[in-house]
Amino acid sequence: MMKLQFDWRSRLSRFRVWALSFRGGITLLCLVGLLLVPLTGREYLARIVITAMILTIFAASWDLLAGFAGQVSFGHAAFFGISGYVTAAFVKFVGAPWFLAIFIGTGWAVVFSLLIGIPCLRLKGPYLALGTLAFALILYNLFLTGTWLGGTEGISALPNIGSVFVEFYIMAAFMVASLIIMRAIVDSRLGTILKAIRDDEVGADAAGINTTVYKLVAFMVSGLFAGISGALFVLDITAVNPAVYQPLYSFYAIIMASIGGIATIYGSIVGSFLFTLLSEFLRPLAAASLLIFATLLILIIRFSEEGVMNPFLEHVRDLWDKIRGR
Amino acid sequence: MGLILEVKNLTKKFGGLTAVNDVNFEVHRGEILGLIGPNGAGKTTLFQLISGFEKPNSGSVRFNGVDITGKRPYQIVNLGLARTFQLVRSFRFLSLLDNISVACLSPRGREAFGEVGIDAAASSILASVGLVDKARLPPVILPHGDLRKLEIGKALGTNPEFLLLDEPFSGLAHEESAGITRLIEQLHEEGVTVFMTGHVLRELMTLVPRVIAMHQGRLIAEGPPKEVASNKIVLEAYLGRGEGFA
Ligand SMILES: Nc1ncnc2c1ncn2[C@@H]1O[C@H](COP(=O)(O)OP(=O)(O)OP(=O)(O)O)[C@@H](O)[C@H]1O
Ligand SMILES: [Mg+2]
Repeated sequence: MMKLQFDWRSRLSRFRVWALSFRGGITLLCLVGLLLVPLTGREYLARIVITAMILTIFAASWDLLAGFAGQVSFGHAAFFGISGYVTAAFVKFVGAPWFLAIFIGTGWAVVFSLLIGIPCLRLKGPYLALGTLAFALILYNLFLTGTWLGGTEGISALPNIGSVFVEFYIMAAFMVASLIIMRAIVDSRLGTILKAIRDDEVGADAAGINTTVYKLVAFMVSGLFAGISGALFVLDITAVNPAVYQPLYSFYAIIMASIGGIATIYGSIVGSFLFTLLSEFLRPLAAASLLIFATLLILIIRFSEEGVMNPFLEHVRDLWDKIRGR
Repeated sequence: MGLILEVKNLTKKFGGLTAVNDVNFEVHRGEILGLIGPNGAGKTTLFQLISGFEKPNSGSVRFNGVDITGKRPYQIVNLGLARTFQLVRSFRFLSLLDNISVACLSPRGREAFGEVGIDAAASSILASVGLVDKARLPPVILPHGDLRKLEIGKALGTNPEFLLLDEPFSGLAHEESAGITRLIEQLHEEGVTVFMTGHVLRELMTLVPRVIAMHQGRLIAEGPPKEVASNKIVLEAYLGRGEGFA
């Protein structure tokens, strides 16, 4: 009992130190700003931010697998899509409440992460990327050509999970919780082992680590969060069709995570918000928008290997220090 | 005492090259055994076979009476047989402390140190290899000598009974070698069995009471370092390659 109390207090004081630090302050400020969005009463803006929040989880799930465990997947759309489909099917045909459907959809994504992870385990680097891509393509085509689950039409007219403002806060809660959990995982001992496998798989083996098991765990955790985002995505747009499997979505995840900064988890926020807002502005340009993103990505990789979040924060901090005359 | 390692008729071929050719030897529990041989003799390959990183074409390896031939490296490590690499390797983006923690997080490490003792164990291993003041640094910025120490530290994190050290002195200055020598002596006193290579016998002379010599994949001599150093076949093996030796 004593111990519990003490622990709680030390946590509180650690939180205070963090909140007063530069990064902590910025984070809290952004969080407050985010939560104020619906209060502006602008539904269009709220909708865009909802999409960005959902895609943040998706990008972070890719970052966890690629950035921390070193397993670069080009097939993340598969986890996103399978969960979206199952969620939609359960809501539409079984009449399951949305929060239950998320669980079921996500469970399927985890199962599929194993189905994809196990055969792909022996593949490394570009071969792993191609292997995962192939799986995603197979799924895409199955759903496109199969007449089950609506064929090309998919499933539509799902019930709304609430008004846009209720939905906003639900999605915000999912995003914050998912990011905190993912960050806690990569900062935990499990995370240390994953990073070791990423840095030197042979060395991890020599350190007595069963790399196969840990890589599968990484696939499952990543699949789980990709699944959550897929389910939320479908609930948000109240429809699903095979397009959610298309390989493009896998690359969206990579683009968003890379823009924000790989191996950060939180960089996904910056990446997906920039990505979503830009896509919205570039919507009139249609196909050219992907070209613009590709160019942007190349520029970022060329000039800022670690994405934009960390370097940007460093600059702001320098500026801040100057303003305060340090 | 008894035998900790028994290697029988071990053979490994790379295409037409037989890197390890019908090798037989034993290691006694608690001893320090040296393995010498000129470049390309097959020392590293022999270590690869024992530690499970390569599969032999034929022959067997028994560790503590258990046949470990064909087991995966991490399984062998968790039985208590750890190794270091001739070319140092490290987890580049982890701190030195975390580099060691990874090994402590292996099943064998967890069993030895307990879930709550892992951080303390990693720090104390880091201290024992003389890197404690650099605990928070990443390995990329370390000089070669420190990476050699880290290499041994990572192996110690798995709480080994038996250590294979592949050229632990290579690329080190004299004082640095002396530090590693002391560390190995200390591990030996703690009861760890050590099997180490070096391609110059001088480095091993003071440390090991017994050496085996290898040449073109075969064992060619065995005995106290002084005897092996004056063995005609061994001298020829080294002379044939024009290398410095004793
Ligand atoms: N993976 C491999 N594929 C092909 N040939 C190999 C491989 N590994 C080693 N060899 C060859 O096997 C022979 C023995 O090499 P090994 O590295 O075991 O020698 P060594 O005694 O450790 O030499 P050194 O003193 O240089 O470390 C060499 O001729 C080497 O080229
Ligand atoms: Mg060698």
